[in-house]
Amino acid sequence: MTLHNEQADPAVSERADTSVLLDVRRLRTQFDTADGVVRAVNDVTFAVRPGQILGIVGESGSGKSVTARSILRMVRPPGRITGGEVHYRGRDLLTLSDKEMRELRGREIAMVFQDPQSALNPVMKVGDQIAEALIVHGVDKKKARERARELLGQVGIPDVDRRLDDYPHQFSGGMRQRVVIAVALASSPSLLIADEPTTALDVTIQAQILRLLGRLRDELGIAVIMITHDMGVVAEMCDEVVVMYGGRVMERAPVEVIFQHPQLPYTADLLAAMPRIDEHSTGRRLPSIPGAPPDPARLPTGCPFHPRCRLRESICEREVPALVPRSEPVHLAACHVTQRGVEIPPLIPPAATADVRGGGESRQLLEITDLRVDVAADRRGLFRRHQPVYAVDGVSLAVSSGETLGLVGESGCGKSTLARTIVGINRPAAGTIRVGEHVVGSAAGAGAKVLRETVQYVFQDPYASLNPRRTIRQSLEEALAVRGVAPADRGAEAVTLLERVGLHERHLDRYPYAFSGGQRQRVGIARALAARPKLLVLDEPVSALDVSIQAQIINLLESLRDEFHLGYLFIAHDLSVVRHLSDRVVVMYLGSFVEMGDAEAVYHTPQHPYTAALLASSPIPDTAERTRERIVLGGDLPSPRNPPSGCRFRTRCPIGPLAHPDRTICIEEPPALAPTSTGQLAACHFAGELARVGAVT
Amino acid sequence: MTEPVTAPPRRRRPRGGTLTRYTTAFRTPKGIAAAILLLGLVAVALLAPVLAPGGYDEQTRSALASPSGSHWLGTDEFGRDILVRTIYGLRTDLSLILTAVPVSLVIGTLLGLSGYVSAWFGSLMQRVLDIILGFPGLILGIMIVLIVGAGWTALFTAIVIAGLPGFGRLARGGLLTEQQREYVLAARVLGVKKSTVMIRHILPNVVDPLLVQASIFMVVAIFIEASLSIVGLGIRPPEPSLGAMLNVGARYISELPSYVLGPGLVLLLLALAFTLLSDALNQAATRR
Repeated sequence: MTLHNEQADPAVSERADTSVLLDVRRLRTQFDTADGVVRAVNDVTFAVRPGQILGIVGESGSGKSVTARSILRMVRPPGRITGGEVHYRGRDLLTLSDKEMRELRGREIAMVFQDPQSALNPVMKVGDQIAEALIVHGVDKKKARERARELLGQVGIPDVDRRLDDYPHQFSGGMRQRVVIAVALASSPSLLIADEPTTALDVTIQAQILRLLGRLRDELGIAVIMITHDMGVVAEMCDEVVVMYGGRVMERAPVEVIFQHPQLPYTADLLAAMPRIDEHSTGRRLPSIPGAPPDPARLPTGCPFHPRCRLRESICEREVPALVPRSEPVHLAACHVTQRGVEIPPLIPPAATADVRGGGESRQLLEITDLRVDVAADRRGLFRRHQPVYAVDGVSLAVSSGETLGLVGESGCGKSTLARTIVGINRPAAGTIRVGEHVVGSAAGAGAKVLRETVQYVFQDPYASLNPRRTIRQSLEEALAVRGVAPADRGAEAVTLLERVGLHERHLDRYPYAFSGGQRQRVGIARALAARPKLLVLDEPVSALDVSIQAQIINLLESLRDEFHLGYLFIAHDLSVVRHLSDRVVVMYLGSFVEMGDAEAVYHTPQHPYTAALLASSPIPDTAERTRERIVLGGDLPSPRNPPSGCRFRTRCPIGPLAHPDRTICIEEPPALAPTSTGQLAACHFAGELARVGAVT
Repeated sequence: MTEPVTAPPRRRRPRGGTLTRYTTAFRTPKGIAAAILLLGLVAVALLAPVLAPGGYDEQTRSALASPSGSHWLGTDEFGRDILVRTIYGLRTDLSLILTAVPVSLVIGTLLGLSGYVSAWFGSLMQRVLDIILGFPGLILGIMIVLIVGAGWTALFTAIVIAGLPGFGRLARGGLLTEQQREYVLAARVLGVKKSTVMIRHILPNVVDPLLVQASIFMVVAIFIEASLSIVGLGIRPPEPSLGAMLNVGARYISELPSYVLGPGLVLLLLALAFTLLSDALNQAATRR
C-alpha cells in the first residue's frame, strides 16, 4: 500500500498550469475513534478550473463529504487532515492561519449544504442572514442589504422586497435552498462547493435548483464542486467527474467519457445497475453489484472495491491500484485489471427465477373507492373548530394478485398517507377500502384481521422500522406468532424467511445495528412476508439505500412477487424505479390522482402535464440526454390545507391558466379522471397537449 | 443475486438488552464510585443495630459533650451519641427515599402512559400533574403533613406526590414519540396485541430517561425530607432523621459544630452518590 503512494503520481506532476482554481493533492483525512482510525479520505487528488462544474460521486461512506469539508478545513475533531495540499489560486489552504482561512471561506469559497432546513437560522430574517455573510467580510449594513435584495432576485425568488423580511419557515424547501445558495453567493465567491444540494428536494424542485446552478456558472463564471450520489444529476450538470469509493478517487474523467467508456468496473456496474426511466425493462432483472459499500472503519486491503468486483485478481487484494491515465490523458482510473487493457464485459443480469409471471389466476386483492383521509383528525381540539386537512382526497384504485401498481408523486402529495390508511395506521374520513371480500370499516372491526392477513407494509427507512432493542429473531418470531405459528416451529420458519430474502441463519441473533441498510431492508421484507400476505404495500422501499444496493432489493422484490404471486402497491418518487417494476402506474398530485394507466402508456405518452413535467425533470444518467427538452415547473406544491380551486395543478401548470389566461375552466371546474385517446386515464381538461414534449422513449 | 450481503457487523457499543446496558453504567469510574458510596451507606444503615446495639436514644451523662474517643462526634442536648443518631438517621432517610421514589416512579409512569389506553384520560392526567407541579414543594409538603399528620407516612406521601409530575411528563413524552416510531407502527400493522406492543416496544424505549430521573429525584427527595424536618414537620423525635438532626443541631452550631457536621456530611455523601449514579446511568442510556 505504501509502496504505491511513494511512487510519483503522474496526475500530480501533469497539472501545474495556472488556470487551475483549486488543486487538491494527496489529501488525507482521518478520524481517530474508539474503534480505531477511520481513513475517510485517502490520497485524494483532483483539480477544478474556473467556471467548471466538477462532480464528486460516491455512495455513503465513500468520503465525498469529508473531502469537501477538508478543503474548507471544516473537519471537526476527532477528524483531522493528516496530509496533502489544497492549493487555491496557488496558496496552500492547509498552511494558512485560522484567521486567513476564515476570510477565505465565504469570500472565495462558499458551501451549500444538503439540508436547507438546518442550514438557515430559524430566528433570523433571510435578508439579514444574507447580509450577515457580507457584514462579516466588512461591507457596511446598507450596502449589504442592497446586495441581499439583488442576490435573492438572482436566485429566482419572486417578490423580493417582501420576502427579504420573511423568516426561513415561511419558505418552502426549494425556496429555502435558493436562499442558502444566495447566502453562499453573497460575497461573489469563485468556487461553490455544493454537498448534495438537491438530495432533500423533489424532482421538479431539483430541476429548478440544477437549472439555477447551471445559470450561475454561465452568468457569473463560478466554479462548482457538486457532491452527489446521483449519476443522473452528474450526467446533466457536470463537466468532469471524480468517482470516489472507500475514501479514494477511483476514476476521474470528463463526463462524457465516464458515461461512455468507464474504465473502472465499479463505475461501469453502477451505471448498469440503475434502472432507466427511458428504457422498457419490466420483467427483466436488473444487473446488480453484490455486497455493500465498505465500512470506512474497516476498509479491505488492496483495492477497496475488490470484494465486490467481478474482475478481481489476486493482485487486487494485495495492492492499492494507482490512479493512472488511460487512453486519453484526461481520463484517469485506478484498476489493476483494466490497466492492462482488459475490456469490462457487460454486467449480466441474473435470470428471472421462473417465467411464472402471468401464470395463476389474477384475483382482485384491494379495491379503494373515493377514499378521503383527514390528517388533522387527531388534532381535533375542544375549543376550536375542526379544520379538516385532506391529504388524500377522493382516490380510487385496485390491485390484483401478481401485479405491481406503481404510485408516484412528490413529497407531500399524500402517497404515504394513502399507504398508511390502507394498512390501518390512519383512518379514512370517507370512502371504502375493500380487501378481498371484506370491507375494512373505519372502526377496527371484523375487517381488520382479514386486512393484516392479506396486506402487509414495508417501510421506507430500514433503520427506523426495526426495534433497536430486539434481535432479528425476536422481530421475526413476533410476526410469526401473530400468524399463529406454534412456538416450536418459529425458529425454523424464521430461518426459511431469512434465507428467502438472501440473508443467513447466523444473522438471526444479531441486533439491527449490526446490519447495513440493504440488509435491514431485507429483514423488513422478511418480517412483512412472515404474515403470508397476498399484497405488499411498499412505501419507498429503496429510496434510503445506496445506488449499488437498490438493484439487489428491486430484484428481490421482483422474484418474491413472481414466486408468491404477490400484488404490490409500490410507492416511490423515483420514476425510473417505478417504471422498471410496475405494470400499471398512478401519478398523484396534492391528494388526488392525475393520471393512471399502463406503465408503458404513461411513460411513453403522458397525457397529464404534471406527468410530462415529472418525466422531463428526472435526470437521466446519460450525457446523450443532456439536450432533451425540459419542462421545468415553477413554484411549489400548494398546501393540502388550502388546495387551489378547480384543477389542483393549475397553479403550476405549463398549459393551464398561467400560460393561457383564457382557460378559465381550469379554475372553475376540477377535471375528472377520464379515458384519453392513448388508453390511460388522465384528469386534465386539456389532456395530451404536453404529451409529445415530455415523452421519453 | 441472493448471495449473502456480508458487510462486517459494525463494532459499536451494544445497544441491545436494557439490562446489559445498565450494567455498563457500573463499569465507568462514575458508576463504580456511585456504587461503592451507595453500598457503603446502605451497609452502614443496615448494620446500625450491630454498630450501636444501644439504639438511637441511649443516653449518657454529659449533654453536648465535645467529640472524644468514645463519642466521635460528641453528644447532643440529651447526651445521646451524635454519630449513632446520624447512622440511625441515615437508616430513616434511606428507608424513606428507597421506597417512596420507586413508588413515585411507578405511579408517575403509569399516569404518563395512561394516554396509550385512552387519549382523553391521558390528557386529563397531564393536567392533574400540571396542578401538582404548580405548587411549590414545601407548600405541598406542609399541606400533606396537615392532612396526614407529621411523621414517616407524611414524608413518604409528600415525596411520592412531588415526584409524580417529573415521571409522568417524561413517560408521556416518551410515549408520544415511541407511538410514532416505525417499528411500533410495524408491530401494529402485523396485528400484535396492544398490550404486547406496549410492553415489548414502547416501555423498554421509554424507561431510560425515567431511571435517570429516578436517581436525580432521590437527591430531591433527601432535601424534601430535610426541609420538612427543618421546619419541624418531618420525622417526630425521638426518632432521628438527617433533616431533623440538622434542624436541632443548627441551634448549637457555635457550641458544637460537629452536631450539624455529621448529618450534613452524610447528606452530602448520599446526594453525591445519587448524582454520580444518575450521571452514569444517563451516559449509559444516551450513548447509542
